Amino acid sequence: MLELKPMPEATVSPGVPKLLQEGFYVRFTDQWPLTLPHVKGKFFQVEKTNQVPYDITRIIPGGNYCDVDLSNATGGENIYPENTKTLYETILGFKPGNYLVHFYIPAGEYVHRLEQAGMVPNVASATLRYLGARKPEDSPYDDKRIYSYSVKDLEPLILRLLVDTGVDFEKMVLGLVVNKCYLKEITPTSEKEARAKVIRYYPELRW
Amino acid sequence: MASIVQNMAIAVEPLVAEKRNAKIKPSLIMVDNVLAGEDSELTFQDIFTTNPSIVAATGAAVVAATPTVSRLRVNVSDMACVSMRDELKDLKFLGRAQVTRTVAGAPDANINCHVTLGYDLE
Repeated sequence: MLELKPMPEATVSPGVPKLLQEGFYVRFTDQWPLTLPHVKGKFFQVEKTNQVPYDITRIIPGGNYCDVDLSNATGGENIYPENTKTLYETILGFKPGNYLVHFYIPAGEYVHRLEQAGMVPNVASATLRYLGARKPEDSPYDDKRIYSYSVKDLEPLILRLLVDTGVDFEKMVLGLVVNKCYLKEITPTSEKEARAKVIRYYPELRW
Repeated sequence: MASIVQNMAIAVEPLVAEKRNAKIKPSLIMVDNVLAGEDSELTFQDIFTTNPSIVAATGAAVVAATPTVSRLRVNVSDMACVSMRDELKDLKFLGRAQVTRTVAGAPDANINCHVTLGYDLE
């Protein structure tokens, strides 16, 4: 699951925790595939957490792009769990620069697209490169707003980093905080169900 | 803010090493050329290694490279001392920073030419 949390319209006091905390509930929808039986349709309580910061950097010329694979596949950044009882809640922010970020999961399948045929992100197009693209100001490094959730063996989430034309080179710094959550499966009650964070399988984001 | 002073004892002097997850943002450059005995041409250069990438328009692969990009050039007269602050607000180094001194276009060392760089990491 991937989501951008928008700027709040109002603040509440006391504040709401930004990350999943010990004791919080999470529910995986029934849309998760049979190949991920450790989470499909299950309900968990977060037993313990640990926050791990990490930065990823790329420097490329203007008009070029490169892909960053967050999964544990060969050549990936290894930001996915290896334990079936672990959920990674990863928040992502960007240092300032002249670049755009497209999201794919798995490789080649756009997360953000519109319904009209052809309205899909395309870094080779002068106009469609801006469709579905996130800019550094959408999720600043010091106020990260992009959330992704990964479990063991989930398909790879790919970030396509595009340096727009008009600059010679750009250094792109992606700041991550991986909130490691150790899960304990429990039997839900209606009250717990209502309070649970619902974690959807990525095809649910595309309709 | 951090700062460093370099005497141009050799024609190319390092200023700041690359910080992998940040750009170097200069906030002050001062050149003391009072005792140099000649005019100085100083070029501030940015050296970094790119990652492999793909040209968006054509799909052609681009291999890693290590370019040297000149970010700022200033001529300072003999007997002069200059400083810059506001002029630097749009200047950033992606990799490591170094300064090169030339006279009439040729590399030239002069231990009496002093360069001060104040900077932040962004």
